[in-house]
Amino acid sequence: MVNITINGKTAQAKEGEMLLSVIRRLKIDVPALCHHEAVEPLGACRLCMVEITKTEWDGWSKFVTSCLYPVEPDLIVSTHSDQVNEIRRTIMDLYLARHPNSPEIRKLAEEYGVLKTSYEVQVDGDNCILCGICTRICDAMGFHAISLVGRGHGKTVAPPLNEAPPDCTGCLSCALNCPTNFIEFSDQDDKRTIWNKEFEMLACVKCGATTITREFAEHLSKNRDIPFEYFETCDSCHRKETSLTMGRIAAWTKEAQS
Amino acid sequence: MQIKEVEHIKKLRNKYLASQKKFPRKVMVCCGTGCLANGAGKIVDAFTDALDKREIKHFAVEAIKETGCHGFCEQGPLVIIEPSGTFYTKVKTKDVDKIIEQSIERNEVIESLLFAEPKSGEKIEKYGDVDFFKHQHRLALRNLGKISADSIIEYISVGGYKAFAKAVTTMKPDEIIDEIVASGLRGRGGGGFPAGRKWRTCREAAADTKYVVCNGDEGDPGAFMDRSIMEGDPHAVLEGMMIAAFAVGADQGYIYVRDEYPLATTHLQKAIEDCQESGLLGENILGKDFSFSIKIARGAGAFVCGESSALMRSIAGEIGEPRAKYVRSVIKGLYDQPTVLNNVETYVNVPLIIDKGSSWFKGIGTEKSSGTKVFSLVGKVRNTGLIEVGMGTTLREIIFDIGDGIIDNRPFKAVQTGGPSGGCLPAEHLDLPVDFDTLTEVGSMMGSGGMIVMDDKTCMVDVAQYFLGFLVEESCGKCVPCREGLFQLHKLITRICEGKGEEGDLEKMEHLSQTVLTASLCGLGTSGPNPLLSTIKYFREEYEAHIRDKKCPAGVCKSLIKYEINDKCTGCMACIPACGYDAITGEKKKIHILDQDKCTKCGACYAVCKFEAIDVS
Amino acid sequence: MKNRFIVNPVLCTGCRTCELACSFAHSVDGQMGRSRIYPLDGGMTDLWVPVTCLQCEEAACVKSCLVNALRRNPDTGAIELNEDICVKCMACIAACPFGCALHDTQHDLIIKCDLCGGDPACAKFCPTKALEYKPFETKKKKLAG
Ligand SMILES: Cc1cc2nc3c(=O)[nH]c(=O)nc-3n(C[C@H](O)[C@H](O)[C@H](O)COP(=O)(O)O)c2cc1C
Ligand code: SF4
Ligand code: SF4
Ligand code: SF4
Ligand code: SF4
Ligand code: FES
Repeated sequence: MVNITINGKTAQAKEGEMLLSVIRRLKIDVPALCHHEAVEPLGACRLCMVEITKTEWDGWSKFVTSCLYPVEPDLIVSTHSDQVNEIRRTIMDLYLARHPNSPEIRKLAEEYGVLKTSYEVQVDGDNCILCGICTRICDAMGFHAISLVGRGHGKTVAPPLNEAPPDCTGCLSCALNCPTNFIEFSDQDDKRTIWNKEFEMLACVKCGATTITREFAEHLSKNRDIPFEYFETCDSCHRKETSLTMGRIAAWTKEAQS
Repeated sequence: MQIKEVEHIKKLRNKYLASQKKFPRKVMVCCGTGCLANGAGKIVDAFTDALDKREIKHFAVEAIKETGCHGFCEQGPLVIIEPSGTFYTKVKTKDVDKIIEQSIERNEVIESLLFAEPKSGEKIEKYGDVDFFKHQHRLALRNLGKISADSIIEYISVGGYKAFAKAVTTMKPDEIIDEIVASGLRGRGGGGFPAGRKWRTCREAAADTKYVVCNGDEGDPGAFMDRSIMEGDPHAVLEGMMIAAFAVGADQGYIYVRDEYPLATTHLQKAIEDCQESGLLGENILGKDFSFSIKIARGAGAFVCGESSALMRSIAGEIGEPRAKYVRSVIKGLYDQPTVLNNVETYVNVPLIIDKGSSWFKGIGTEKSSGTKVFSLVGKVRNTGLIEVGMGTTLREIIFDIGDGIIDNRPFKAVQTGGPSGGCLPAEHLDLPVDFDTLTEVGSMMGSGGMIVMDDKTCMVDVAQYFLGFLVEESCGKCVPCREGLFQLHKLITRICEGKGEEGDLEKMEHLSQTVLTASLCGLGTSGPNPLLSTIKYFREEYEAHIRDKKCPAGVCKSLIKYEINDKCTGCMACIPACGYDAITGEKKKIHILDQDKCTKCGACYAVCKFEAIDVS
Repeated sequence: MKNRFIVNPVLCTGCRTCELACSFAHSVDGQMGRSRIYPLDGGMTDLWVPVTCLQCEEAACVKSCLVNALRRNPDTGAIELNEDICVKCMACIAACPFGCALHDTQHDLIIKCDLCGGDPACAKFCPTKALEYKPFETKKKKLAG
């Protein structure tokens, strides 16, 4: 256990734990747009920046991104110092110039008092903030179907060659975890489309309800050693089946005991 | 040729030196990339052809050396006759016979091939007497131009691998590190971090595998010091890395070479193979319990790949983008193992320090920046090229003594140091002794040693705009302050150049710069605003002229200037065909007329007018 | 000996108290959450079975989760879901052969029984003891027939 001070209060942290996770545990609100617990931190949005110092640093302090700064004993952290707030405000201001139409960005910027950007608005700016959450999740799941391509201001998220990605299983994780809901998909009862790829939804053999795509189910069955039949019945029918089986056993036991 | 013990190196050296005694005169043909582009290859061929045709007494192919770059590429191809040091510039193939007849056979000097100092016009006979070379102190560039670039035996003949042998056979790793620490050697790749401290941390890190990596990515536009060293003295790079590897306990090394450097790659590759063949690389080197090998990794082509974490990812086969982390790469670097990363120039200083001792090295340069630094001196100076001077040499000495002053005797305006993210310094800092700390104090940096000299015809707003544009292009785009911040700074400054600047723009740019400087992920962003901030600091009036008066005082920013024909016009008609846009009309001996609507402000008329009849305002 | 669920359908009246208790125990922002347990009659009208996760040894949900959001709590033995890690791919829901991983559509959360950290509310409130959470004793009674 490591003892640190956050905004004047002492806190305990696990060795090697990142500052952000301690901050979150204390329910202190620090924005962190490129952060997702399922994947390694990237340090791209810079919003989670905090000011750190130590008594022996003689008044000297530095700014670090809390999502990937491991705790150190006796660290003194300010999550909302004037300078930190100013950095966040400027970043929000920059985001707002680039993504003027994103409700998520507008709301967050507003929280920091930025209602209108001071910079040149990119009229055709889309809502992808290039946080890399989608690509990192897709990588973490082992699909590597999409990636951040290009560099600098022209960077984008895209499948290889901008074509329907062969490795995509249509799991939807990228889209569902995008902080600005940028990734488009359509989800109908029998089919799902994402990244211009169409998927068949696997229907329950009993009731026809669908949960995941056939491709995703096949992938899981093959790579994670799960019988494919499991996926062929939906959760609701599975529960009914369970109750029936258990009911039968109970009835049989009751009969046997009497 | 097997080198199994220290004695073998000495023997080889003596034998080779004796064999060279046959040749009282040698021809050193510069075969650096610059001279090769100017036809140095053909000069070498011409010398060899001449030998095919007839026998020349005391002269043979072995006496023609294809050397590394002298740094004076602009005057190439360069040929030096040793031992006299006779220095010929801009040599053509047709000069070769003359050189053989007069300089080699008769030891005469050919006046017409000598270099004339641009300022005085005086012809200089010997290499060492030329202003450009006279004021230099060449340590890192010690062998460039002195030996055949890719020959291991030539390197050994000038004392090569002596330091490595000394280190491996007579010193303990800790003693080597002590020496490097005591020498005060700081990283030459930009940051100026003490090399010895890096090595010590790496040595003390507990791990089975450690790496030694050489940064030869050199992405700064216009810089070519590392290229010249890798091409012209590849063994010095290897020797430095070998000493580092022995000191920190690494058994694998990588040299990350910029992709645009094929000659450097070829020469390094040959050097590595020669070392493997002779046993200087491989297992149980010099009979000791030390094994080390080196591989070349080709750069991925982006400026940001030179940044340490991006470089290591690139070597490991990942995308060459910086990775955010607060664990230093000496602890967890390449393949997550402790890694020493140093620049090419840093490594080539190492054998000298081991050979001559740390106090010798410490005696050169300034207290906190010992040794020398190679600069690539370009821009509006008479002599341009690669130069090496002791730390603490003033900007004035570099620009006016070595560079021979400003072209056309125009006034000096500024010098940009430190590469694309360095700063611009005005005349008031000409007497600044150049070292890592003094440059940082005044708002610039050493960087890898770029030095661009500017005269009064240079617009500082335009310069800052250019560098910001470069950085916007090169930003990897991962983090917001750099990706969006530099982009907006570039937008703002471009507007100023176009005459659309507004009151408050300077303050806005200064404010945004602060966030980019503190909040960016890697060095590209955290130094990116430097060119902007330093020019605002020293040339604020020039920005204000652009914003307030919509004028570009230097006459550079096209939107803010106008070309006009005044009454000095003699009606010579020279400007009419010069203008590619038919904007000038007129008759002979009558004042010409310039149509502002057609004028694209290319300045072609201004350049051809001999009568100062065209004004820029 | 570790506690485990003892389910006795014979005693279950289908009163759904367990469901209510579970919802309360897993409230989200002060609102009731979706229950992790369901008393179902499975088509045999005279027998109700409270269906909930059995914390399988070799659990299909754990295998199906590609981001490791489902992990066993060594103290309680429960397979717990880390909401912050979960990317909502629904693999676990599709994989569980008992239908015990669920989607709380109202709060858009993937949920499953976590044994309430070791003191399951459902069992505590079951009025008929159809559901108990206690050490499992193997009674070696001979079965007639
Ligand atoms: C954007 C960027 C580009 C860089 N490019 C180079 C380069 O081309 N060559 C180099 O030696 N160092 C470069 N560096 C510095 C390296 O990150 C690193 O500090 C250096 O190689 C360490 O060696 P040294 O201590 O010997 O200087 C760059 C740094 C940044 C931030
Ligand atoms: S839907 Fe496709 S691209 Fe998105 S995370 Fe799943 S596999 Fe990757
Ligand atoms: S699409 Fe969404 S998750 Fe992916 S990088 Fe863009 S903003 Fe982030
Ligand atoms: S500072 Fe620039 S180059 Fe460096 S990581 Fe950020 S975006 Fe990439
Ligand atoms: S829905 Fe969540 S818990 Fe279930 S498999 Fe997907 S990531 Fe894992
Ligand atoms: S959450 Fe830490 S940089 Fe984005």
